[in-house]
Formats: sequence, structure tokens, C-alpha cells
Amino acid sequence: MHVHHDSILTLELPYRERLALRRTVFHGGGGPRVAVLAGVHGDELEGLYVCHRLAAWLEDLASTQPEAFLGQVELFPAMNPLGLDTLQRLVPVYDTDLNRNFPGHAQGPLPQRIAEAAMRHLRDAALVIDIHASNIFLREIPQVRINQTFADTLVPLARRMNVDLIWVHGAVTVLEATIAHSLNSRGVPCLVVEMGVGMRITPAFTEQLVIGILNLWRDLGVLAGDLEIPAPSCMPLLADDQNVHYLNAETSGLFIPMVEHWISVHTGDLLGRIVSPYGGSILSEVRSPVDGILFTLREYPLVYEGSLMARIMATDAPGEEPHRFARPLGEGQDEGGR
Amino acid sequence: MTQRILLHMTAPLREDFDISYHDIGEEFGSPRIALVAGLHGNELNGVFVLSRLAAFLQEVAEGQQAGLQLRQRAIIIPAVNILGLNTLNRHWPFDNTDINRMFPGYDAGETTQRIAHAVLEVTRLAHYRVDLHSASLDFEELPQVRLYDPTEDEHAKARLFGLPAVIERPTNTIFTVTIGHAWKTYGGANFVLRAGYAGNLQLPHCEQLFHALVVFLQRTGIVHGKPASEDSEEDVHYFGVEQTARIVAETAGLFISHLEVGRWLQAGDLIGHVFDGFDGQLRAEVKTPVSGLLSGIRRQPLLFEGDLIARIQTRQAIAAEAHDDLDGWRQ
Repeated sequence: MHVHHDSILTLELPYRERLALRRTVFHGGGGPRVAVLAGVHGDELEGLYVCHRLAAWLEDLASTQPEAFLGQVELFPAMNPLGLDTLQRLVPVYDTDLNRNFPGHAQGPLPQRIAEAAMRHLRDAALVIDIHASNIFLREIPQVRINQTFADTLVPLARRMNVDLIWVHGAVTVLEATIAHSLNSRGVPCLVVEMGVGMRITPAFTEQLVIGILNLWRDLGVLAGDLEIPAPSCMPLLADDQNVHYLNAETSGLFIPMVEHWISVHTGDLLGRIVSPYGGSILSEVRSPVDGILFTLREYPLVYEGSLMARIMATDAPGEEPHRFARPLGEGQDEGGR
Repeated sequence: MTQRILLHMTAPLREDFDISYHDIGEEFGSPRIALVAGLHGNELNGVFVLSRLAAFLQEVAEGQQAGLQLRQRAIIIPAVNILGLNTLNRHWPFDNTDINRMFPGYDAGETTQRIAHAVLEVTRLAHYRVDLHSASLDFEELPQVRLYDPTEDEHAKARLFGLPAVIERPTNTIFTVTIGHAWKTYGGANFVLRAGYAGNLQLPHCEQLFHALVVFLQRTGIVHGKPASEDSEEDVHYFGVEQTARIVAETAGLFISHLEVGRWLQAGDLIGHVFDGFDGQLRAEVKTPVSGLLSGIRRQPLLFEGDLIARIQTRQAIAAEAHDDLDGWRQ
């Protein structure tokens, strides 16, 4: 087993700098090759820490049981290196979402070149995990999001990822420009993880996900079948466009949550309030429309009319409640991580 | 009364605000034309031109433009992204989303989905629909009509603006969430007009756009009266999807060019120079490999390797690998 660091793309900047898209490669045996991506959005840091924890685990394995490492692992912790280093979600200068530039083009501008280089290097991977951290507005429980087009292949993989939720969402044309869709449509399985919140790290979620990833790698033959790994502790709920309810702000103001994230709620429960700092009155009360699981909760207090405050997965029997908050297609920023 | 409110919104800490539009010639039933600008808050040419067009049409409607009559109803939204306009931001500044990626919108969804929905509601009944844009902060474009997967009618009517270039571009996945795509689902004839660069006004481009819109209104019978301009100098060129060449930076540095958009170039002509920003040395001469009309040129000197320097419209179709099929995402 050995480790090497290299770049899959370098590009000249205007003033005496080169930008490099860096990766760390752990070489084991001739088994399957898998990859982990993070930092596609420059304000999402959870995946960076996952990469560190995986690297530490693999380095430890190299010194204790190197023969148990059968495949190859590639970590790409900073897909949008300029965005990460300058605290910007989008690709700086181009002001474009890197995850709307796939599959990219080798002769295009920077975002297109990053996309093309990633696609070229991942085309024969056995599994790619693309880790997102929501955005600065919303906190998410560890979950895998799957386009229904690929559900048959991906849901069985996601079930072994030790996440709390699998969300199978409808096909939306604009999301075909994401790395996950571009890889999946070319036959490379790619799981999109969403967890935590932008600009922060949630270490408990990291440890939970690392266990899931290691178990999945062992199942795929990247790690020896008899290697001891902590067992997964989570049985994911299954969400879809029918049972997910969106709570959008009725008015602008300060959103103050009245509950913790990731709890069971009942119809009519008070989840939060929208208030104004100019006076003592309450502008709007936010109540749950269903019995269910509060899996998304707003982290950033200011809201405009329409801002998403929470998402609840209904747990009541199907058919009892019309899905009146189910949303049609579009790419609101609450979907930002994808 | 020609001013109406498209959407009234509250703000977290500031006063409530309205997105307003002009509704001119209400007595004529459904709007015949809808014109939209300022979906991106830093694209000022369209905002200025539509505000002036609204004033002009109001004068026509009130009989103050001798010999001209308004025959049909027109909707004009000079600026959609007013929060972005007041802070010179392309995107909706609060969450940095692009309103022209939120269509068809949703009236119970996110703020920018609600705005997109409201814009679509007030424009969808018009027959002619026009969305005005500047290019980016970094790139200047010749005033032009852009067509995406055009109908025969759009193909024919695009010439009525009399702008020097009608350019057909390939659609892509991003196009599916723009207003141009949303309009197509309601039929009619839909056009994207682009001119100049963002972040500022370029008055010659504005004058050309204003003239083009007035000519279009006359030629479509929305404004009746003095014969529409039959300018013998008018020289409209149609370019298909395989007639756009892009010149891409192979060397980074500071890019300098004095060329004006709208010039016809010969293969081998100089486009500009790339200098090293540290030692001042010339790093590259940029020349065009093809002959054609310069429809866009970089105005931002800071140049990354791979950046778009210029677009040239060619008289003949060019090879697939050379033509421009990859920067529609910037529309």
C-alpha cells in the first residue's frame, strides 16, 4: 500500500499563479477503484473533514493491516479550490455553480475544465461519493439524495451508507448538469450525500458517515471481507416527492426555531416563529402540517417571503394527507447542495 | 394608469417593496407584446432602454407622438431583480440565486421562484415576448437577437428588429430553467436580445436597441402610423448554430484590445495582446483563425487560461470542435 498526491488539472491564473485540482490516491491491490469528492461548493466544508478522517483511517490501516486494502481510494477534497480558498460557494470570477457545469469541456473556461477533468478521471470508478453540506441557510441530517432515474442501482448502495434518510427525487432536466447525474448516466455509480450545514463541520455526522463509507467499501471489495469495521447503526427512512413537505416563510423577518433539528413532530406542533426586531409582536407562527420527521431546519435566521424554514417527511399512512407542500420542479437554493 | 404591481414583497428589515411594470393600451385586450429586462440586476442596458420605451409608448398612447398610434397592448417590466439592481448584483443578493434559473417558478416556493412565477403570469398571454440582457461584466456583445431552437415564425420575425446579427444557439440543460424556455411552452414568438456588457450603460448600444424595439413594434403593427423605417443600409445577418467560432485564451495574463464589436475580420487579423502583469512583457498576440463578424469581445483584462476572448460569426458552417457549443450557461 502506498499513497501519492498529484493534480488532475492545472490552469494558469492571470497573475503569476497556477491553480491545481489536487487529489490523494491510496493504492492497495488490484481491487475496485472508488472516489470521494467534496468542496464542489466553496461554502460546504463537511466533506473536507470526511476526507481527512478517511485518509487518517487508511494511513492507520497501512501501518497495521496493509494486506486488507485490496483496491484503490482517491480523495478529491477540494473540487472548487478557488471557491474554498476565497470563501465563495460559486466558482469565483465566473460566478457559476460548478455543479451545473458537468460533463464539462476540455477547451472551456475554468468551471468547464474542472468538470471535464473530473469526468475523465472518474469514468472507470466502481463508486463515487459526492459529499455536500447543504448551504449556509439549512441544516440537514445525514442523507443520500437520488434521482429516481437511477434509484434501482443506487438505493441498495445508499442503504448501506449509515445515513438517516434516503431521498429519491424526481428527474429535473437542469440537474442533468450535476456531476452525479453525469456520472450515473455514463454508468459510474455516484451517491450524493447531504449533511450538516454550510461553513460548519458537524463531527458526529462525519463519524457516522465514515462508518457507512467503510462498510460499503468492504462490501464492494475495496477492503478485505474479514476486516473489522464498526457496524452501521442507522436504518434510513425513505423519502420521496410525495411525502416531503416544505415550509416556506409567509412573511419576511427573523426566523426563531422553537424545536431541535431531527425530531418527530405532530400536526399543529409549533416549530418556530417569525418576528421583527422593530417590535415585540410575532409576525407568523410556523406549525407542522403533518405528523412526521423534521429533517431540514433553517439555520440562518433572516428570511424573505418564501424562504424555506423546514422540511418534514410525513410518516402517516399514504393517502391521508394531500402533498400540498410538495414542490414542482425548479432549482431553489434549498436544493443548493446538489 | 399604466403602472401596475407585479409583486408586493416584505423585507426582513427594510420597507416593503414592489416589483412594478407598465401596462400600456389596456383597452386592447390581451397583451400583444411583453418586454422584460433586469432579470439580472447588473445588466443596465435593458433596464434603461425599456424605461425609455415605456415613456415613448405612453406618449404614443396619449397621442403625443405625431402620426403614431398604439394599436395593441404592451407589457413592459424594466427590472425584475430590483434588489440586485439597487446593489449592482447579477443575482438575487440575499441567497445569491439567479432569477433566470428559477423558471417556470412556483407561487408557494422560494422567493425567487415566486418572482419567476409572477413574471411568467403577467407575460405568458402575450404573443411576442422579448427578454433583454447584457452579456457579463467581462464581455461585450454586439446588439443581437438570440434564438434557441426557433420556430419558423421566430426565425422569420427575428429579422424585424433590424439588428445586425440574428444568432441561433444550441439549447442546453441550463436553458430549461430560463424565462426563454418557459415562454416557449406557451407558444407565441420569443426572443432574447443581448447588447453590450453588464455593470454599466453603453449608450450607442442602448440607442440601437431602442431603435430596434420601435421598428419591431411598427413592423408587427403594434404601433401604427409613419411607415416603419425602411433603412436601405439595414444589413441583417443570420447565423446558425454552426456559425459561431470562439477564441479561447491559451495564455493567462492581462488582455488588452481596442477592437469594437460589429467589425468584419479576416482570418489572421489581430484581436488583442496578452501582457504579463508582473514584468510587462508581451506574452501572446491573439489572432483570429477565421473570417467573420466580431459579435463579442472580452472587456475584462484579467485573463485565465481557457477564458473566452472573442466570438466570431462565420459566413459558413465550421467544424463541430471549433464552434461554440459550451458557453450557453452564461446567458
